[in-house]
Amino acid sequence: MTFLDIIKSVFTIALVYSTIRISISILIAGMGEMITERSGVLNIGVEGVMLMGAWAAAIGSYFSGSAWIGLLCAVGVALVIGLIFSYIAITLKASQAIAGLAITLLATGLSGYLLQIIFEHGGNTPRVPTLPNINLAFLNKIPVLGRIINDQSVLMIFALLLPILLYIIFYRTPWGTWLRAAGENPKALAVVGINPVTVRYIATLCGAMLGGIGGAYLSISQTSMFSENMVAGRGFIALAAVIFGNVKPRGVFAACMFFAFMDALQMTLQTAVPDNIIPREVFQALPYILTVVILAINMAKGGGPADIGNPYEKESR
Amino acid sequence: MNTVKKFLLKREDVFSTLIALLIAFGIIAILLMSTGRPAGEAFYYFIKGAFGNVENTSNTISRVIPLTIAGVAFLIGAKCAVFNVGVEGQLILGAMASAIVGYIVHLPAIIHLPLMLLAGMAAGGLYAFIPAWLKTKRGVNEILSTIMLNYPATFFTHFLVLKVLPMEGVVPATPKIDATARFATLIEGTRLHAGFVVAILVVVFAYFLLNKTSIGYEMRAVGANKEAARFHGIPVEKRMITAFMLSGALAGLAGAVEVAGVHYRFLDQFSPGYGYDSITVAMVGLMNPIGVVLSATLFGALKTGILDMSIYTEIPRQLTTLINGIVVLLIASKEMIRSSFSKLVRGKEEFKQEKE
Repeated sequence: MTFLDIIKSVFTIALVYSTIRISISILIAGMGEMITERSGVLNIGVEGVMLMGAWAAAIGSYFSGSAWIGLLCAVGVALVIGLIFSYIAITLKASQAIAGLAITLLATGLSGYLLQIIFEHGGNTPRVPTLPNINLAFLNKIPVLGRIINDQSVLMIFALLLPILLYIIFYRTPWGTWLRAAGENPKALAVVGINPVTVRYIATLCGAMLGGIGGAYLSISQTSMFSENMVAGRGFIALAAVIFGNVKPRGVFAACMFFAFMDALQMTLQTAVPDNIIPREVFQALPYILTVVILAINMAKGGGPADIGNPYEKESR
Repeated sequence: MNTVKKFLLKREDVFSTLIALLIAFGIIAILLMSTGRPAGEAFYYFIKGAFGNVENTSNTISRVIPLTIAGVAFLIGAKCAVFNVGVEGQLILGAMASAIVGYIVHLPAIIHLPLMLLAGMAAGGLYAFIPAWLKTKRGVNEILSTIMLNYPATFFTHFLVLKVLPMEGVVPATPKIDATARFATLIEGTRLHAGFVVAILVVVFAYFLLNKTSIGYEMRAVGANKEAARFHGIPVEKRMITAFMLSGALAGLAGAVEVAGVHYRFLDQFSPGYGYDSITVAMVGLMNPIGVVLSATLFGALKTGILDMSIYTEIPRQLTTLINGIVVLLIASKEMIRSSFSKLVRGKEEFKQEKE
């Protein structure tokens, strides 16, 4: 096999298709985490929120017979988890990192426990109804685009519109200004008469809701079941993408797509080039290593909101 | 009466932690019953599974060993304002390094075992240097960097086991270490091994370092108030790097002790999350070396007890992680429990004073 053959067999339309397919969950969850972080709250528990979302979606879909109701269940459960996190992190002013870790531990245990209780066996749920895929006849007539878009989950539309929507909200609406102010200088925001605590609550709940949807995609769209620990680090990848993308819509979008591409490339390389010299572990570790590098470069420049991780203190000067 | 209150208020932290634990187990009991599982029976089998006979008790202690060492590892960092969430990654690398030294070099036991433990400490400590450097020189939040660095460690060891090192048998693992690199099994047929001596030494070391040495004092000063410590001429960054690397070295030691005492090789994905548990253990142990031993015993018992319980009662073993999560959530909101506890005690006192 010549080098050109390898290139040809790896960089195909299928690679673009699977990049987008992989990106959907981390894109939705990452956009959610971006909203949360912009308001000054660091939710390390995205992984846990996604896991509960995936769990609730599969359970809801299984018992109602409708994947849409499953999606609603995911949103509901994610909001409850988000509320618990917000109460501890914002109202009680506990360490956001510890609260986030606790959420992930709780979600891992709870989803596994309840899975076993409901189905009397562990591992995974039976097959559940899934969300529809995009299937438009006219797209098939367009050569490349048709093969990339058709057969993707309907959530792809949501995932791709989300960054644009958030860009507009962030920079063109008063909500965006309040959100960014809550993360940069909450006291100044309070002077204007907007309560930073309310803003942070709403932002954290929005983040959790999107995390839940990102998780739901995994169980009722990308696959058709929930299996234990199925999020498998995607929450941390989303967290990494937010840092990598400097907590800005365009940057986070690019980071999510890049990480998804790396994952798709890794999988394609394994099937297309059996004796490839680059081990898959290199690709798997890459998002995390790059994020640490970016943290090292960026922190000196002061990327990200200034007040992130700090509780809002009314009295302090 | 007054002395009781004074005692209660002085030990406020201990009591609020105990209350948090009680609430956590109350929630678990409610959860068990509401999902149709008998909480009383579960408790019986849990105690039996953790301490019921010599074998179970020994297995519990074998879990307490790595939890104690890893808990102290987290504590040493936290005392110096270093929040090392990377204990898991450092522990895994430590285990790998020690397993390699354990099977590649052949030496008499008196050198081999210490050398192997040192290799584990070196690997963990050096890996911790990355986030330590990033924190002190570049201002990178160590929680984020250490979370991110846990993954490369896992993938790297996975890669070594599967593709670089020779494999014995069907499970992905390194070859067995020499007999000279192993801790003696204390009770035949159980996992209890001589490594518990190392755990005791680590606790004593941490106690002396933090309470009896000037470096330990300076580390605690940095943890209490960085700016004040700097004002008093303490080299803040230096102490933080020391604490971070020491924390990493102890994490690596925890991994090495597991290899030398339990598995005798590096088993891919051998750690049931000891590194993440270390945070719970240290927090429940009130960031105190002796407290860590007590809380490691609790969580070690949880690990073995629930395993047994899940066999007899059809209660899913995932309960362990769930309990961990609920405990950490409640410990995180301990401030609320603490303030209402002190209000309760103080309130009565003031009430009484008014009457007098």
